[in-house]
Amino acid sequence: MSREANLSVAEREFVLEALRQGQRLDGRQADQYRPLSISFGEEYGHVKLQLGKTSLVVRISAEVTKPRDERPFDGLFNINVELSAMGSPAWENGRSNDAEAYVANVVDRVVRHSNALDTESLCIVQGVSCWSIRADVHVLDFDGNLTDAVCIAVMTGLQHFRRPDAVVRDGQVIVYGIDERVPVALNITHKPLSVTFNAFNEGKNLILDASLKEELASEGELVIGINNGGEVCFLSKFAGAPVDAHDIVEKSNVALEKVKEINARIDKVLLADLSRRGKKGMMEESRAENDREIDSRTTTVV
Amino acid sequence: MVGPTVSLSGLRRADGSASYKCPVTGYDVLGAVNAPVELPARKDALRPEDATIEVFVKPGNTTAGVGEGYVESVLRSVLGSIVLGREKGFPRRGVVITLAIIGGEAVERGDSYLTILPALLHASLLALISAAVPLSMTFATTLLAVTPSGQIVQDPPVEDVANAVSLHVLAFSSKGHLLLNESQGRFDFETWESVREQAASICQGANPRGSDGDTAMDDESKDGTLDNFIREAMEDHLHRVYSWKIESN
Repeated sequence: MSREANLSVAEREFVLEALRQGQRLDGRQADQYRPLSISFGEEYGHVKLQLGKTSLVVRISAEVTKPRDERPFDGLFNINVELSAMGSPAWENGRSNDAEAYVANVVDRVVRHSNALDTESLCIVQGVSCWSIRADVHVLDFDGNLTDAVCIAVMTGLQHFRRPDAVVRDGQVIVYGIDERVPVALNITHKPLSVTFNAFNEGKNLILDASLKEELASEGELVIGINNGGEVCFLSKFAGAPVDAHDIVEKSNVALEKVKEINARIDKVLLADLSRRGKKGMMEESRAENDREIDSRTTTVV
Repeated sequence: MVGPTVSLSGLRRADGSASYKCPVTGYDVLGAVNAPVELPARKDALRPEDATIEVFVKPGNTTAGVGEGYVESVLRSVLGSIVLGREKGFPRRGVVITLAIIGGEAVERGDSYLTILPALLHASLLALISAAVPLSMTFATTLLAVTPSGQIVQDPPVEDVANAVSLHVLAFSSKGHLLLNESQGRFDFETWESVREQAASICQGANPRGSDGDTAMDDESKDGTLDNFIREAMEDHLHRVYSWKIESN
């Protein structure tokens, strides 16, 4: 088994006929996302995201490595999407499938290639050491529209993550533990998100955020990666029924509106989590006027 | 001591699932079980009368490596001994267990994987129960560290693991048998024997079995043991699953 079970003819016809009459299975509007909920784990960069019944966990981590020879000023950034049998029984463990390759590619293009994370700020010593940021995506439940969910979770994770502080002293790199110095937020240049539309009935119906059933009945996907400023950084229409050029222009306006909405939402939950952490004493503890206790345990010299 | 937190059947797509969080080590493991599933014809499915057990451990923020391969083989052998793979519907089918480490410190390359083994074992056991896979028995497992001063510590925090002389993971079945013994470091037989005794009392209480070999169901000495903890999690789960039946009586 490596594919989701196909819809029956009756089910498919039901979805398509409902769309012809302007209805969706769960009663949503054509341009409406399912309820989105974002929460954070204990450590920085641990995001739990739920989009309708699709749910996933993203963990961001950082380690010091050597930069690539051809790019000595750049740090490394990788997004790791590995689909396991947990998300859907159709995915086989330890073996990549089409869905994985597709999602990994789109997220990579939208988030990494658009330089949402400024990799130059990850450089510590030119050509010698830099930070390697890694985003690990764990899909817990799959119910359609994985690309948007992964994009939102990875972008939230990057904004939430704090890496340990590192300084260069006498040619030596000193990495301070996160209990020792206030950890540093990553440098985010812009906040692109992907917005996925699915085409039905020879491209007559274009709907946002398809659930799994709708995805299975769909004729093709249109993915728009766009940021708050309205700059389109990714656009794909890989296969399936043709979509009118007018629709693409129109839908990119819808996408802009949605991205602004979701980014505002992300900012809100980030702020709420930050103030919760502030109350717990991390910020209080790390104020300059406090007494200093020097504990060398968490400091590592690279 | 604060006990671990578990919840069963949290996932929608998997046949059975369980999340297990250990407050001391901070590990948060999510287990999913799909069973029985059709397997592609493979060499290891050549035992026509038995089910094939597949275990996949997905680390939190690294790619799977040698350590994961090692725990996978340990898990496979322990779970293989309790899954009734010859029950109707299971022979020639697969029992696929997926474990994702979604919280807690990453196990660094070269560090001992024994620290996370109890969490993985408990998560997979509860996920198997949630998926209603036939099992011959349940088990409880614990991690013990022997400090340089000869003390035996249960569920040691990260610093203690680094300083420990030896680490031991022991699992006891609900019938009192020793199911698993993975040890690491230097120790002599006497130390191991006292580790085993302590592990047995953590898992099963002071007096694990009655003289007739039956487990006492409401023995007070079992309160707070891991065996009892697993039993309670199972009871809660069954109560929820069969609520329709209990209501209608």
